[in-house]
Amino acid sequence: MAVSKRQRAQIFRSFQYGLLVVAVAVLAIVADWGEVTNAFFNLDAAGTQVPDIITSALVNTAIYTVIGFAFGLALGLVLALMKLSSVPPYRWLATVYIEFFRGVPALLVFITLGFGVPIAFQLQFDLYSTVMLALGLVGAAYMAETIRAGIQAVPKGQAEAARSLGMSQGRAMISIVIPQAFRIILPPLTNELILLTKDSSLIYVLGLSRDEYDLTKFGREGLNQTASLTPILLAGLCYLVITVPLSYLSRYLERRSGRRKDAADTAAGLEVEA
Amino acid sequence: MNVIEISGLEKSFGSLEVLRGIDLEVKRGEVVCVIGASGSGKSTLLRCVNLLEQPNAGKVLVHGIELTDPDVDLDRARRGIGMVFQAFNLFSHLCVVDNLTIAQRKVLGRDKAEAERVALANLEKVGLSEKANAMPAELSGGQQQRAAIARALSMDPDVMLFDEPTSALDPELVGDVLGVMRRLADEGMTMLVVTHEMQFAREVADAVLFMDGGVIVEQGRPAQVIGEPQHERTRTFLARVLNPVQAR
Repeated sequence: MAVSKRQRAQIFRSFQYGLLVVAVAVLAIVADWGEVTNAFFNLDAAGTQVPDIITSALVNTAIYTVIGFAFGLALGLVLALMKLSSVPPYRWLATVYIEFFRGVPALLVFITLGFGVPIAFQLQFDLYSTVMLALGLVGAAYMAETIRAGIQAVPKGQAEAARSLGMSQGRAMISIVIPQAFRIILPPLTNELILLTKDSSLIYVLGLSRDEYDLTKFGREGLNQTASLTPILLAGLCYLVITVPLSYLSRYLERRSGRRKDAADTAAGLEVEA
Repeated sequence: MNVIEISGLEKSFGSLEVLRGIDLEVKRGEVVCVIGASGSGKSTLLRCVNLLEQPNAGKVLVHGIELTDPDVDLDRARRGIGMVFQAFNLFSHLCVVDNLTIAQRKVLGRDKAEAERVALANLEKVGLSEKANAMPAELSGGQQQRAAIARALSMDPDVMLFDEPTSALDPELVGDVLGVMRRLADEGMTMLVVTHEMQFAREVADAVLFMDGGVIVEQGRPAQVIGEPQHERTRTFLARVLNPVQAR
């Protein structure tokens, strides 16, 4: 008997479900659940981690990320404006900067800032300054391109209207173009914040005291002490506590700006005659 | 007295000559309408009056100040020249009243209360008092354009430039905007209007210019230019605009 198209689709779908069930079953049988529990869900090991993993490590990671992001955002804005400058050397400088810091591993930047710069220039930064510089220098390179794209995405008519009201080019940029650009790039900037949150784990190379540990370093120390992977799992969960809400925020902002764009397009999409 | 004086104005975009020698005078209190086909250079002409486009040659004087002089303070000169765009260009991140106050405060240095007083008076003038706190995206096209007119008026300009202010509007909303413009003209505002609204030009304008190929082909009283055009190109254009179905 011939099998209809719809029946074929049904059979294929059943097959996919079956495959999933088999895979889960095999995993469940093969795994040694005693060992898995001991490694990842060891309550004694977990007990040694709380509450410090929240009150110290999670808070530290959040602080490192926020100061790095703030500095990176400011520097990224400067770089974006340099990239849009009518003076070619500014554009070249910004391009070189962006290509360099996007192209080298963040870890190298951290090592350079933590050890190379203090020796070479006889400068001694405190921990927060070093973290802010290192995360910021790397983040700025990524954010600069995002901000530049955002500024260029603001319709030209907005700046023209501002100029026609007597605003200088700088005033129009600050009061009209940049605020709108940031609305456009809020979703990608949120993603940037998520990436920086994870990159903040690299500061372990600076050599930290216990109350300066970030989540990853804290988890690794826990691993050494307890000989269990539970602290690592906990650290991972703590990252998710930060990053999952951020990615939901990002998606929410994207939807919202999409809706607003639809409404604005009706008005602004009509620049017919050049 | 001439508010706008333009002589020998030329503008090219690359190899495309858009304006090829324009001479134009607009007297105080006069309403001048510029008509012509798309690509005739009429919008570019308007954008050269406040130097949104930099002319390649010629002089533009507004209130006796030569804007084409490289040493002139353009930002200061533009304060007195209101401009209304085809695409409205309301600042999309600001509510209506903030759209009207931001330049007053940042450019004219008015305090918040004074700027809002001026803004609300102008919103009332264009019939939008109840939309003061709305965002631009919440307004219809006609409301946006009237808000944009109120924004320009809030700078107390003594000349207004209109760049096809009704071309982006649904037909039933055109009347509201033209009504606001007509009242403005009645109050004695000096206006230079690029438009396709022949009835408005005929009834409100003191003078009509017909542009084609980057030059002013014909100019005079509306009844003369629209009613009894002397040039073949003017006649062809008017026939198409006034009677689009038949002409095709």
